[in-house]
Amino acid sequence: MSLCELKEIRKTYRIGDEDIEVLKGITLNIEKGEFLAIMGTSGSGKTTLMNMIGCLDVPTSGSYKLTGQEVSSLDDDELSTIRNEHIGFIFQSFHLLPYATVLENVLLPTLYLDKRRHNEKELAMNLLKLVGLQDRAKFRPNQLSGGQQQRVAIARALVNEPELLLADEPTGQLDSSTAAEIMKILTEMNNKGTTVVLITHDEKTASHAKRILKISDGMLV
Amino acid sequence: MDRLYNIFSQSVIAVKAFKLRTFFCLFSVALGIAAITIIVAATEGAYKKAYELVARFGPDSILIASGGDEARAIGRFDKTLTMDDVEAIKENFDTAYLVVPMSAMRGINISYRDKKHQTAVFGSTNDYSSVWTWPVVAGSDFTEDDVKGLRNVAIIGTYIAEQLFGSEDPIGKHIRVKNIPVEVVGVLAERGTTPMGSSLDDRIIIPITTLMRKLQNETKYVSTIRARFVDHERLAIRQLEIKQFLRARHNLRPSDPDDFRVITPQEVVKFLVAMTGSLTIFLGVAGVISLVVAGFVLANLFLLSVKERSKEIGIRRATGAKKSDILMQFLSEAVIITTAGGLLGFFLGYASSGLLKMVAEFEMHFSWKAFAAGLVLAWAVGVGFGLQPARKAANMNPIDAIRR
Repeated sequence: MSLCELKEIRKTYRIGDEDIEVLKGITLNIEKGEFLAIMGTSGSGKTTLMNMIGCLDVPTSGSYKLTGQEVSSLDDDELSTIRNEHIGFIFQSFHLLPYATVLENVLLPTLYLDKRRHNEKELAMNLLKLVGLQDRAKFRPNQLSGGQQQRVAIARALVNEPELLLADEPTGQLDSSTAAEIMKILTEMNNKGTTVVLITHDEKTASHAKRILKISDGMLV
Repeated sequence: MDRLYNIFSQSVIAVKAFKLRTFFCLFSVALGIAAITIIVAATEGAYKKAYELVARFGPDSILIASGGDEARAIGRFDKTLTMDDVEAIKENFDTAYLVVPMSAMRGINISYRDKKHQTAVFGSTNDYSSVWTWPVVAGSDFTEDDVKGLRNVAIIGTYIAEQLFGSEDPIGKHIRVKNIPVEVVGVLAERGTTPMGSSLDDRIIIPITTLMRKLQNETKYVSTIRARFVDHERLAIRQLEIKQFLRARHNLRPSDPDDFRVITPQEVVKFLVAMTGSLTIFLGVAGVISLVVAGFVLANLFLLSVKERSKEIGIRRATGAKKSDILMQFLSEAVIITTAGGLLGFFLGYASSGLLKMVAEFEMHFSWKAFAAGLVLAWAVGVGFGLQPARKAANMNPIDAIRR
C-alpha cells in the first residue's frame, strides 16, 4: 500500500464567471519512505497539488487515499485531524508565530492532538537538539537567522511524528549555504524513514530528492 | 479537557503578546464596569439605609398625613385630620397600640437668655417618644397630665441643646418659644440627619394641646397621625382599612379623592431609594453606554487583530487546529481581557466610592452582588462582542489565511 494514492485528481476554481481547472487529472503514488520532488513553475498547479496532498484542500473530482483512507470526502474537522496526525508542513517563509518562543512554536501541533502524550516537551527538545537549536528554546523567532527559523519549522513539522513531510520551497528565502544545511536535514529525516515531498521550482533543490516529477499546466509530465 | 486547556493557554500567551489591544480593551471595559459597580453598590446602599431607617422608626407603623395627593400637587396644605379622628382610630382599631397626633410649625424663633435660634416646633402627646422609637436620654418625657393641662413643657433635640445651652444642663431651664415661656424637661437622643441632609435633632416637642391653643389658635385639626400596630405583618390591610375608615369619617363621596395620605414603611423605603435614583439613573446610562462602547472597541480591535493574525490562523489550521479551536482561542482571548477589565472596574468603582461619598453624601454598600454583576456583564461583553471576530477567524480558509 502506498502512503499516498492520487487518482485522476481534478481541481477547478471558479473565478468570476469562469471555471479555471488548475489540476487536470493527476494520478500519483507516493511510497512510504520516499523522497520526492515535484517541480514546476509558478502557475503550474504545484502549490494546489501540495495543498491537496497536505489535506488543506479537497479535489473537485478524483480519489485521494492517505494511508489507505479516502480523504477527498472528509469534512473540515476530519481534515484538520488528518493534518494534525499525519502531515508536517514546512513553508518557504517559515511561518512561525512571532510572539511565541521557539519551544512554544515547536509544540504548536501537539496542542491540537486529541490524545495527549505527556512527553511532548521532551520530544520537542529532542527535535530542537536534532536541528541544533536546543540552546535557543526560549528565544523568539525574530532573534534567529532565517536558517535557524526554518530549522525550528522543521522541528515543528516533525513533533507529531507524521508519516509525510511536505516542504513548499523550503530554501526559497535562504542563501545557498544555509539552503544546503536545510536540505541536509531533510535528507537525514528521509534516511530515518520519514516520507518527504518537496515542492520547488529550483533544479538544485530538487536534486536532493530520489525521484523528481514535473508538473506543468496542471498535469504531470 | 487537555485540548481546551491548551487552547486557553494559547489565549493567555496572545493576551500577553498583543499588549496594546489588551490595554485598550481592558480599560474601556473597566470604566464601564466601574460605573455599573457603583450603581449596584449605591442602590444597595440606598436600600440598606432605607431599611435601617424604617427599622429604626418602626416597621410596624403608618403615617397618616393631611391633604390628598391632588391638594398637595396644587400647593394646598390644608389640615384635614382631627383630634376626633385620632380618638376614633384608637377606638376602632384593636391592634393599633399607639395612635399619636402631630402638628408642626417651622421657622419658629426660640431663645434662651441671649441665645436665639430658629427651629421646628412639634406638638404631640406624651407618646411621641415611643411612637418614633426615639428615647429621651436626659431629664424625662412630658406626661399625660402635661398634655391635658396644656402645660408649657418641652423636650428638645440635641442640636437645640447645643445651640442654646452649650455645656449647660438644659433640664429645668425656661426657654421662650415665640412669646411663651416653656420649661425644658427632657432631651431626645441624637438622630443625625435625614437623607436630604437636614438635622433631625433641630427640633423641640411640646404638648400638642399647648401648640394648638397657644401657638396656632387651633382647636380641631392636626397635620399628621402616626399609628403603630401589633399585627405589622398585616400592615397593608390595615392601611386599606384606615383609608376606608377615614374616607367614611370625612364624608367623602366615592368620586372624591382622598383628603389624606397613608404612608407605610414600604413607601418610605421607595421614597428614600428614589432620592438616590436620579444619580443612579445617570450613572446607569453612563455605565451601559460605556460598556457598549467598550464592546465596540473590543469588537473592532479584535477584527483588526484577526486580520493581522490571519497568517497565525493559517499556521494553526495547517498544523491541525479545527475551526472550533480557533473560535475558542479568540473568544477566550476576549473573555480573559474583559474578565480582567471587570475585576479592575470593580476595584476602580470601589476606590472611587470614597470620593462619591464625600461629594454626594452617597451611601454605598459593596457586596458580592456588585462584584457578580460586574463580572457577569464583563463576560457578556467579552462573549457578545468577541463572538463575531472569533467566528471570522474560525471561518478563514486556511490556504488563503496562510498566504496573506
